[in-house]
Amino acid sequence: MSKRAAEDSSYPSKRSRKGKEDDDYVDVDNFEAVEIESPPDTPAASRGAKINFSALTRKLAEARQARESEDGREGSSLSAHRRQQDALVSHIFQEQDFSWLHLKPDHASRPLWISPEDGHIILEAFSPIAEQAQDFLVAIAEPVSRPAFIHEYKLTSYSLYAAVSVGLQTEDIIEVLNRLSKVPVPDSIVDFIRERTLSYGKVKLVLKHNKYFVESSHPETLQILLKDKIIREARVHSQQTDNSIRAATFTTSKAPVKGNLVIPGTKEAEKKKDDAANAKNGSKTDAELFTSVVGVDNDEVEEDDDNVHAFEIDDAKIDDVKKRCNELEYPMLEEYDFRNDTINPNLDIDLKPSTVIRPYQETSLSKMFGNGRARSGIIVLPCGAGKTLVGITAACTIKKSCLVLCTSSVSVMQWRQQFMQWSNVTDKQIAVFTADQKEKFAGESGIVVSTYSMVANTHNRSHESKKMMEFLTSREWGFILLDEVHVVPAAMFRRVVTTIKAHAKLGLTATLVREDDKIADLNYMIGPKLYEANWMDLAAKGHIANVQCAEVWCPMTPEFYREYLREQSRKRMLLYCMNPKKFQACQFLIKYHEDRGDKIIVFSDNVYALEAYAKKLGKLYIHGGTGQTERMRILQWFQHSPEVNTIFLSKVGDTSIDLPEATCLIQISSHFGSRRQEAQRLGRILRAKRRNDEGFNAFFYSLVSKDTQEMFYSTKRQQFLIDQGYAFKVITHLDGLEDLPGLVYKSRDEQIELLSSVLLANESEADLGTDVRAGEGDLAGTITSKDFGMPTKMPSVQRTTGSLTALSGAQHMSYVEQNKSANKKLAREAPSRHKLFAKRDKDMAAARKEARAAAGGKG
Amino acid sequence: MPSVTIKAPMESQDASTATAAASHSLITFLQSQSQNMLTRLYQKPSACLSLFRLLRPLERQLVMNLLWLDLSIPPSTMAAWVTREGKKPYQDALGTLARLHILPPSAAKLALNPTFKSGLRQAITGGGTSGSFGVLAENDEKHPAPEIEALDAYALERWETILYYMVSSGTGQFPAKPSAGVLFLLERSGLMASVHGGALQITSAGFQFLLHPPHVQLWELLLQYLQMAEERQMDLVEVISFLLMLSTTELGKDYSTEKLSATQKAMLEDLRDYGLIKQRTGSIGIPKATSRRFSPTRLATTLTSSSPPLPTSAGSGDGTHAQGFIVLETNYRLYAYTDNPLQIAVLNLFVTLKSRFPNLVIGAITRESVKKALANGITADQIISYLVTHAHPQMRRNKPLLPVTVQDQIRLWELEKNRMKSQEGYLYTAFASQADYEYVLNYAKQLDVVLWENASRRCFFGSLEGHANIRGFIERRQTAGNA
Repeated sequence: MSKRAAEDSSYPSKRSRKGKEDDDYVDVDNFEAVEIESPPDTPAASRGAKINFSALTRKLAEARQARESEDGREGSSLSAHRRQQDALVSHIFQEQDFSWLHLKPDHASRPLWISPEDGHIILEAFSPIAEQAQDFLVAIAEPVSRPAFIHEYKLTSYSLYAAVSVGLQTEDIIEVLNRLSKVPVPDSIVDFIRERTLSYGKVKLVLKHNKYFVESSHPETLQILLKDKIIREARVHSQQTDNSIRAATFTTSKAPVKGNLVIPGTKEAEKKKDDAANAKNGSKTDAELFTSVVGVDNDEVEEDDDNVHAFEIDDAKIDDVKKRCNELEYPMLEEYDFRNDTINPNLDIDLKPSTVIRPYQETSLSKMFGNGRARSGIIVLPCGAGKTLVGITAACTIKKSCLVLCTSSVSVMQWRQQFMQWSNVTDKQIAVFTADQKEKFAGESGIVVSTYSMVANTHNRSHESKKMMEFLTSREWGFILLDEVHVVPAAMFRRVVTTIKAHAKLGLTATLVREDDKIADLNYMIGPKLYEANWMDLAAKGHIANVQCAEVWCPMTPEFYREYLREQSRKRMLLYCMNPKKFQACQFLIKYHEDRGDKIIVFSDNVYALEAYAKKLGKLYIHGGTGQTERMRILQWFQHSPEVNTIFLSKVGDTSIDLPEATCLIQISSHFGSRRQEAQRLGRILRAKRRNDEGFNAFFYSLVSKDTQEMFYSTKRQQFLIDQGYAFKVITHLDGLEDLPGLVYKSRDEQIELLSSVLLANESEADLGTDVRAGEGDLAGTITSKDFGMPTKMPSVQRTTGSLTALSGAQHMSYVEQNKSANKKLAREAPSRHKLFAKRDKDMAAARKEARAAAGGKG
Repeated sequence: MPSVTIKAPMESQDASTATAAASHSLITFLQSQSQNMLTRLYQKPSACLSLFRLLRPLERQLVMNLLWLDLSIPPSTMAAWVTREGKKPYQDALGTLARLHILPPSAAKLALNPTFKSGLRQAITGGGTSGSFGVLAENDEKHPAPEIEALDAYALERWETILYYMVSSGTGQFPAKPSAGVLFLLERSGLMASVHGGALQITSAGFQFLLHPPHVQLWELLLQYLQMAEERQMDLVEVISFLLMLSTTELGKDYSTEKLSATQKAMLEDLRDYGLIKQRTGSIGIPKATSRRFSPTRLATTLTSSSPPLPTSAGSGDGTHAQGFIVLETNYRLYAYTDNPLQIAVLNLFVTLKSRFPNLVIGAITRESVKKALANGITADQIISYLVTHAHPQMRRNKPLLPVTVQDQIRLWELEKNRMKSQEGYLYTAFASQADYEYVLNYAKQLDVVLWENASRRCFFGSLEGHANIRGFIERRQTAGNA
């Protein structure tokens, strides 16, 4: 032992003992015994054994090091000394100390590390091949955080399921990982990948020539399935098979390739086939670099196994087979061979020639249509990055009847409008199914846009709705588009998915985070995540706006803080929303940004605070109680008038209100620690019209009252965006706030007056989003309904402690109506146009009428 | 050149432009010494050269201008070169040189201290046989001079043992102990303190010490050593000149101990413990049989130069130590390219470490971890400047270097700690009448010492400084009233 050279300080024992040439670190001798011990019968047990196994690997490595350090004493005392110290720091990391992993000699040119314990992958984003590595990692792992230099990913069961479903093979995943990794892929991870990908994605349910086939490139898998009684009975034997041995074999065909499928709107579509080849050559240099390191030619991966095997199953037994396959842990991927579907009529729609889709949209679609068929799954794009267009392009590619489901009737109208805008779909081909409108499309194929609740609702249906539902359930849909999939309750989803017969499903979302961790359900009901965009990347390329995020700390005034500490109920929330310092900060920021020429949206979940702020600051506001006409008027003024630069929105504005003019966002009250809401609100300014101006920045402010629960929620809310690479700057002091002319609540008396009005407010005022009432067809709590339903304020009994002087108005109380709603002023002013224009309007209206009459006469 | 000093917090943000750095700590120390002592020191050419290297650029410029002049020049001649903006730095430089007695202050003429002048001239031109640059040992077949690598390893081991001992004290671990001399030095310098007579524990000064660059750390210890040397009745001139001599020696050469004085020979043992020199000891633990030759390590030879005092290939073997190894992200995650246990232990002072790969440590800056550091006496600025000095080359493309949000947050966490301010003072109460109260209060207000007042209770609180005056005022008033 002592002869061993000390310069090979850490791992000489492996080399000398085994003399192995390859990089593989694991010392097989030591581990075989362990593997035999682990009972291979049940998967659970073997997984448990695997964890021990990796722990043991470490122990052995440590033991070896210890031995080493004793040997090395006479050699270099420095290395001995290092090892000794090393042992002393390793306790900090406990189970997470992977320093025993063996670095590859050329590790510097490889970009990632893989943690053996939990499948975390750490990627150097500044590595020359990082971009390729990212593409690969997005396909096989969940992105955990993606800031500037170092990204983290995590291998999970679902991510591997997704990887397999887009056509990656187990061995290729391991191979590429190994090539990219600075350390050999740990055995525990290799086992994990094998175990997870063994059964997933091996079986596909394909509708081809209107017959259902169970398809797999692994005949053995099909054999396994056929051993099951239910599946065997569902099998349809085609006639050509004789009773010889061949009966056991399957129909074999060429694996599908992308072939000549062209996704409309993409570069390829523009340049047609021949140019496409050139485009590929152009990107060759990068690809070559990747290949030289990764060493796997991507084409090879796809054409590895070009034969697929299939057997046909009975249409009627599809559901049984699907269920059974899930039970057998061979969940079926659903692919739709829409080009060979001759039964369902084609829908003749296409993108307008002027419509061009962006590169990342193309990438996401290519994941969906990778092999010439439509895969079911979820595409994750940031708000404002054009999810709708991705959905529309997918529909235009499949060209079959299509059902679009969204969360509210407002979005329904938006989807319809977008379809009309981007594609050449005609009025007759697209129909809307909401509480008010129940249309059917003309012809044998078309598009229906509806909401989740309209389709999932099972009771209290009007006659019309029932008939409409019959229409929906009776037919076979080529494609179902599911918008905002992360907000839909799982039960509702299941109902939708089971009642509607669709061949391909596509889910769209911006934030695949749920506070309740129900993401897993989506995986099985829709399909794996096909693509997830990198926010920072898109911002850098100018597809979404650059945003400066800031958290403004507003100290509570002593009076408010005293009440805050005293109050136990929900009213605490009202107190920290109504903090006068917050008022001032809000006023200051509005002033500051209006002077810069920004258009500002102020968000408040709390309606009481919303009204109070808007009235005090003399700005327009929209909440659930705002009527439809008033709402449209306010939005129009905001969009077109240089005088209205600020509007206050309640929760109704979180999603779907599309205001590309807005460039600044201030948040004064929000829904506890909801990461999703934060991301969605940010999304309101990501599509800012001016985003491509040089040096343009959108601004996102969160006002928080210092030392209250808000601080805690705020930190939690930001987590998602921070992991996407956004940085929240903390502002503790706004320069020049004190000198602002007309600063509200400046004096202590005014503040106390505000406080007493807050204390008098009904407790229910503290509730969030009270204004938003779900109409028929809207998802509760998620929505922006067109008809919010009038706020029915129940006259509830209210008890407050207060002195008689206070009640009689002797204590800082006043009855003058000072805070008038600016909305009303607008309503009054609106009709008053200058005489000249009024006359012109009248003339134009008359002219239009005449023209129409003339046309009608002709017709 | 030797501008490695602890920068003021605000300056540290753009370290590259901090040319007006403070004087080297040794220079500051020497300024307080007597003229007699300094003149004795300047008799050694090596000391003159080393000190010259430690001076700030402007001071060096002045010395160079005067060095080869045989006659003195009037101060106005020199002052004529100085631009108006340069006036202040020029005066500063003159002041420093005067206090070092290199350039004795005189209104009539500017001339270098003759001892220093001849010493530095000799150092530059060579010649003389004083042996002040050390005497090379004769080649010895039996004991060849140690390899540079071995020297580096030795220096690193010694140095890291000291630092590691500090960082891990109080964590319930027992790393290798440095020698008793080192321990005594650490305790004397206030970097570590013995708690209830028990084992040594690191102090808040010690924590701050750990975040300094090695060069600064080394000099901090050596200055402490100088102060101790005074108490031990060692000849300070001999001690300093020996240190300065070491800084001019060549790495990888053997030097003879024969020409050294007794004091200097005694120093060898201490310096061996710090890792400044390597000396073959006859057999383990018997100092008597020490060799008559010693080899300075890199720690010693770089004492007065700007090259790194520790071998650059420390740590992970790819030079990351010198270039910086820390990547800090906007999501508060910290990735450190290191496998050096000492660096990891230092990071552990203010980072929540999560996991570790062979050449990478992953952690996050959290509220808890920063709070822990603050509780240990480390300041937010020290954390930030540590992160800045060790930032990974990739980070250097960022402007500003560290994510602003994280910097701000660290500072805010520090501010959180300081929300209560205490101020000592006196409460004045029990005034006989409202008039009395107002009268005294007015007086106190004129002095601007009132911190708090409550008219309804007739009391106010004044700061400590104002007490004597207020008290006098009340007494005068009382006596006046009585009279």
